[in-house]
Amino acid sequence: MTVLILTCEQDVTADMVVARLDGTGVPVVRLDPADLPGGVALSGEFVHGSFRGHLSAGGRLVTMSGLRSVWVRRPGVPATRVAEPSAWLTEESAQALYGMLRSTGARWMNHPDAARQARHKPWQLHLAQRCGLPVPATLITTFPQAARDFAERFPDLVVKPVSGAHPQEPPRAVPTSRVAPETDFSAVAFGPTLLQRRVAKRADIRLTCVGDRFFAARKAVGQGADPEEVDVRFATSTEPWQPVETPPRVAASVHDYLREAQLAYGAFDFAEDADGIWWFLECNQAGQFGFVEIETEQPIARAVADWLAAPAPDPASPDDQVFVESVTCE
Amino acid sequence: MRPFALNYARPAQQLEVSVPYAYDSRLQLNVLPDGRLAAHDYAVLRELGATTSTAGSKTHFDD
Repeated sequence: MTVLILTCEQDVTADMVVARLDGTGVPVVRLDPADLPGGVALSGEFVHGSFRGHLSAGGRLVTMSGLRSVWVRRPGVPATRVAEPSAWLTEESAQALYGMLRSTGARWMNHPDAARQARHKPWQLHLAQRCGLPVPATLITTFPQAARDFAERFPDLVVKPVSGAHPQEPPRAVPTSRVAPETDFSAVAFGPTLLQRRVAKRADIRLTCVGDRFFAARKAVGQGADPEEVDVRFATSTEPWQPVETPPRVAASVHDYLREAQLAYGAFDFAEDADGIWWFLECNQAGQFGFVEIETEQPIARAVADWLAAPAPDPASPDDQVFVESVTCE
Repeated sequence: MRPFALNYARPAQQLEVSVPYAYDSRLQLNVLPDGRLAAHDYAVLRELGATTSTAGSKTHFDD
């Protein structure tokens, strides 16, 4: 049974897992949907009440029924590396590839439906609240007056993109940034704006979850750190990421979150305040983990490889995903 | 008409740096010129920021 990894060639974080799987003898096929059709080829037939399909990439051929798991890591957009790309061909290729993969009994990290839902930050905040995680007061609005009222109630605010995406034309980054007092909120009318009470943090926490294995890492806010630098991704801090224990109450809530979201993998960001409380910021359903493993030596790649290499579910139980129980959060 | 959040945008750090490794489709791994696996050379990965939380942000939402 084969592990299928959907990612781009330059993804060296995926390399960390492929190397692990190679070491255990588990067959791996790695491909980028951007190369379909061309470097990646597929075929599937639905005949006499059954489905049989094949995938080929890099000289490897795998049957759809021979897949034990699918890791959706950093896949390119289907059919974007063909000679004559088009939106139509992309949709055709995406439907063919993902539609056939959905027809297999393979386990997913993460299933496309779960991934799509999990990317919505408003839904993340809602689910985190329901699961008992502390969430900083947040407003998402296009009403300038609502923003002004919110700023009166919570004078120390940050702004961040709702989607987490960065504009590309021209390429720009939009880090989480502090909002100065007396800011003019008129431009809130021109796009949904996410304002959040700033957590006066003493550390950033990255909690990487692989199935039911948790790896928490902590990066302290350094002495003399610029108080305007609130986004750890863009900060100039030289403080290291260090392994830390996950508080049991947080772990229980995160378990509930993952189960409800039907995620096999999630990278949670928290801000730790002066009282040691972990405030939920977001959950990246395909968040990076290589930088954490490199600094902390936590065996995250091995955990991902172990999860992917676990036996495929019994075909008689197609719903045997990692998290199938419904759960009632607090 | 600029959305409020874009008042806080800054020029993106160009990630188009040349990397000292290349993808080997036979191994399905990136390999350094001396044949070692890029994933095993933490110094190279650190220097390039290839595994950091902003790597790939251009095309993916998940940091």
